[in-house]
This record gives sequence, C-alpha cells and structure tokens, in this order.
Amino acid sequence: MTDLIQMIVSGIATGSSYALMGLAMVIIYKTSEVPNFAQGEMALISSFFAMMLLTSFNLNVYLAFSLAFLFAAVLGCFLEFAVLRRAKEPNVLGMIVITIGIEMVILGFVSWKFGAEQKTMPFPIDPYDSLFIGDIFLKKLDILTLVSALGLMVVLFVFFRFSKLGLAMKATQQNSVAARIVGVRTNRILMTTWGISSLVGAVAGLLISPTIMHPYMMWDPMLKGFAAAVMGGMTSLPGAVVAAYMLGIIENLFGGYISIEFKTVVAFVIIVAVLCFKPSGLFARHYVKKV
Amino acid sequence: MKKSFMLLVVSLAFVLSLAPNLFAEVGVTDTEIHIGQWGPQTGPAAAWGSVARGTGAYFQWINDNGGIHGRKIVYHMFDDGYNPAKTVAGVKELQEGTGIFAWASGVGTSPGMAVKDYLAQNNVPWVGPAAGSLNWVNPPQRNLFAVYPLYDGEAKALVRYAVEKMGKKKVAVAYLNDEYGKNGLRGAQEELKAHGLKTVAEVSFEAADSDLNPHVMKLKQSEADMVLLWTTVTHAAKVVGISKAMKFEPQFMSTSTCSDFPLMMSITKGTWEGVICATFGELPDSDYPAIIKYKKEVFDKYAAKEERWGIFYYAGILFVEPMIEALKNVGPDLTREKFITEMEKIKGFKGLGAEVNFKPFDKNDMYSRQGASQTFLIQCLAEGKAKKLTEWMDIK
Repeated sequence: MTDLIQMIVSGIATGSSYALMGLAMVIIYKTSEVPNFAQGEMALISSFFAMMLLTSFNLNVYLAFSLAFLFAAVLGCFLEFAVLRRAKEPNVLGMIVITIGIEMVILGFVSWKFGAEQKTMPFPIDPYDSLFIGDIFLKKLDILTLVSALGLMVVLFVFFRFSKLGLAMKATQQNSVAARIVGVRTNRILMTTWGISSLVGAVAGLLISPTIMHPYMMWDPMLKGFAAAVMGGMTSLPGAVVAAYMLGIIENLFGGYISIEFKTVVAFVIIVAVLCFKPSGLFARHYVKKV
Repeated sequence: MKKSFMLLVVSLAFVLSLAPNLFAEVGVTDTEIHIGQWGPQTGPAAAWGSVARGTGAYFQWINDNGGIHGRKIVYHMFDDGYNPAKTVAGVKELQEGTGIFAWASGVGTSPGMAVKDYLAQNNVPWVGPAAGSLNWVNPPQRNLFAVYPLYDGEAKALVRYAVEKMGKKKVAVAYLNDEYGKNGLRGAQEELKAHGLKTVAEVSFEAADSDLNPHVMKLKQSEADMVLLWTTVTHAAKVVGISKAMKFEPQFMSTSTCSDFPLMMSITKGTWEGVICATFGELPDSDYPAIIKYKKEVFDKYAAKEERWGIFYYAGILFVEPMIEALKNVGPDLTREKFITEMEKIKGFKGLGAEVNFKPFDKNDMYSRQGASQTFLIQCLAEGKAKKLTEWMDIK
C-alpha cells in the first residue's frame, strides 16, 4: 500500500513539470492554433540566462530569476514579432516548421555558448531535500513545482476567463478577422501570448535546473507537456494540467507494476488511445466554425 | 619505328611520374600523415567532446616537436553529434575524399559500430575507440586495436571489490538499456555467479528517461546493499540524489564513464561523495610523471581557456598513445601493413592508462586486439578528490 501511495505521490510530483510545459503550449495554441515545438528550448535559454546571471555576474538568486522571467517574456514577444509574423501567407504546417527551426537554432546557440557539460543551478532549495509523511517521501523542490503549476493554472484560467486581454486572446483564436473588425489588435495579442507562454515555460525550466542542466534537459518535459496538452484538448488550461498529472501517475504506476522499460512510451500510447476515442481531447470543447 | 619508340618512352615516363602516387599509402605523403577522428561537440554526448579536443592538442604538440620521422600529423576531426548516421557520412567523406591513413579514438559504441565494418572492409587501421565495448574485439578484427578496458571487466572489478573487501551480498544493477549498459550488467552477473551470488535487482534505464523515481523505488525495494550504476552521467547523478531523498543509502559503484569526480560532485551537489568507480587512467592530480608532463606541455599550452584538465580530456591522449608509438616504430617508410605489424608488437606499453599489450592477429583470441585489461578503483572524497582504493588490477 505504501508503495502504491508513493508511486501516486511521485507521479503527481513528476506531472507538475509536465503541467507547466503543457500550460505554456496551450496558451499559444489557444490564440494561434500552432503547437509551439520551440517551447522547451525557449525555457532552456531562459534557464541558462539565469545561470549566467548567477555565476558570471554573481547576482542574487531572486534578482537573477526575476530578470530571467523578464528575459523569457521579451524573448517570446521577440520571436513572434521577428520570426513568426514575417511568414508570408502562413498556414499551420508552415508555422509548426518555423517553431521547429527556432527550436534548433536556440538549442545550437545554448550548446555553443554554455557548453554541453552537465551543470546544476544554485537554488535556495536543495533538489534532494525531502519531507517524509510516514514512509512517503516528497522532495521539497517537487512541492514548489506543484504549487507553481497549480497557482499558474488558476491565475491563467482567471486571466483568460475574466480579463479584457484574456478575452481578446480567446477572440483572436476563434475568429481573428472578426476580432480585428471589433478593434482587437490581433498582432499585438499574438505577441503578448508568446510572451506569457515563454514566461510559463521559463518557470518549468528554472524548476528543473537545480537538479540538472544540459542543452537537452527540456526535451522530455516538452514532449510530455505536449502530450498532456493534446490529452487535455489543446485549448483547455485545467485539461492540460489534469492530463499532465494523470500522465505522471500512470507512468509511475506502469513503471512500478508493469514494465519500467516501457514507462516512457506509455504516455504516447495513451495519447493515441485518447485521440482514437475522443479526438478533441478529454476536456476541450472545440469551437466549431459554422459556414 | 622511331615514332613508336618515342611514344613508348613518353608513356613510360608518364607512368613513372605517377608511380610515387600509385604506390604511396593512402593518407601519407612525404610531409604529412592524415589521421581522422569523430567526436561529439554537440548533441547528447557533447560532454565527451573533450576526448577529441585532447587528441587534437596532443597531435599539435607532436607536430611542434618535429612530427614523426619528418612528417606532420594532419588531424581531421568532425562533429558527429553522437549520431551514427553522421558518423558514417563523415567517415566516408574523409576516407574517400581526403584519404585517411588511420582513425584515432572516436567517442561512443553506437557511432563506432556504424563504421566498424566499413573500416574493416577497407583495412583502415583504427586505434583506441573511446568506449569499453566488447563489440570491438568479439570477434577481433585485424585493423581495430582497442585501448579502453572492457566495461564488463570494470564491472567485474567493482563487484569483486564489493563482495570480497566490503562484504556486500545484495547487489543491484542499474543499467542503460543499450550495449554499454548491458556490457556492465553482464560483467556484474558473471562475477556474482563466480561468488555464488545473483543480482537482487536489474533496473534498466532508457536514454530519454527523465523521471527516475520509479527506478530508484525498485532499487530500494530490492534492499540492495550495493548498487552498480551503468548509466549515463545524468542518470547516475539523479539516482544517487533521489536515493538520498528517499533515505536509501547503499554503497554506489559506477563505471569509468562516471569517474570524473569534480563534475559528478558539482552536478550532484555533493551526494556523489563516497561513490566508488573504476577508472582507465591515472588520476588528473596525481604526481605520475606522464600526467605532469602532458598537463604542462599539452594542456597548459594548447587547451582553450574554458577547457578543464579532466579525465575525458586526457583520455584523448591516452587512447592514441599506442598509435603514436607504432607510427614512430615503423620508421620513415610508412604503410598500413607496417603500421599494423608495429601495433601488434606493442608489449608492456605504459602511458597515461593501463598497460597495453597486443599480439599478432588471432581470430580466436580477442586479446590479440584488446590491448588493455587493467583497471583500478577510486572513491570520491569531498571536493571531488579521489582516493585510490586499489592498484591496477588485471581483469579478464
């Protein structure tokens, strides 16, 4: 019984970083219907930027993280403004290819600038400090990740539901022409979306970095975050978070009781199954354009 | 008649003018020896890119000290990103385009396996692949000389030490689910069997795994008193850290791949202290004469500012030292055949690593091509220092 509870707790802990990446992907998809495959690397470069501030400029950790968040937001806005907006007559496939291109450029840049050797980020919480409740352990860093993921989900949910900017973002996704007609500056909205998404991704990156940092560290969380977003329906913020936790728990239980070799692929098997039976995802209600 | 004779003379002169090129060895001129190497400068294994940089600096040092019998080494290194498809493309391009006399080192079992047959078919010498895989020598190939001690030998040495010296009885193995990991697993199984024991758990890792809680839980459930880590550096660091978080504290032991203690201590925030590793080379801060010499004359002079004098940097020298020895012994008349013969004559060669011995080619004896079969064990101390637990041990 202890093992089962431990696996579920560990699954929730793992699911938190998937949830943050899933949220970041959903934000962009909600406004532009583009899955952003550069999401992981945008978080990666923001994390390495924070690392540089901490080690080369000796800034304190809170200032360095604040500047890294600012950097992430500006990076997101810049990429939308300087790269995606320049695409001529873009379709979704073209945009996806552009995000893959951005991903490769950032990955190459980080490898070149910061080197490939593994590092860890100085952080106020030791990544291996843990709390015990009976025999169940939970790392303190995982608790922080969990709180961050849930907190951000609530803030973003409220933002999209009730703020003017959030509603404008929703309108841009549903019908950008109509949104423009009623005065929504859709270009600016898209740029802001990329900024917010990059910021959320950076939270995930900065919470992974105290454990280990290397140029490929965001690849797995990005894929799992994307998987969670797809499972959740791509447009639902709570959906992505719930799916991320489900994914984390299922992976842990599968690894613990069935096969540790196939633990990683089980996430993708589940996605295929979900998409076969409920193509719009578990939680999304897709807006259907009527002719 | 006179015309025909003149034509014959001119033709003969033309053929003779080409003769030095027709009969010269590929990759060798009067002034140059072309040597190739692949090494990941980008990609998932880029941390081992320092191997190739170490070799590059070593060759530069040789050239600046007069070269080999008047010839300079022209070093062709390319970044394969640890991608076997890129290794094949790069090797073929250099071999068939530029013409390479011999290949030096090259990081990784998978990239090496991708070009192993190609180099064998063309009888191109290849010395010191930077991996301790059994695949290099089982079966042995005439052109391929392995210098890295076998992974299964390292695993045997570690398990033997754990069982005989430390009294450990419950050994679990955490291994990467590829050739590298399975070599370590096999060595551990064989050594345990020799002691009448079995592993209490065998937990495999996929290269892409980032959540390792289930793996560590399995190790903890096995109640192992020694865990042998045959994984990537990243996985090994995480396993030791998560184990600490779970209050699971067996004796951890690991392969030479994870024996760069300053790096391991830094990425585990100090939890690597106490871990025992096998190693293939003298310690970086030792007073071993060759270490002092190469640090001063090669590293200090040729390494980039951000480079670190770590085991993987000077492994780039260690793996190719026998190659240079054989090149020197061949003399000025350099051919591949003579080079292979001289490699086979290397006996009791001691450079930065284990003693190297080769023999004339015998398809039934893998030790005719596996030069090093020694390792020694070190334990990680605070601040990444290493304590030598054993002297060089022969493991076959």
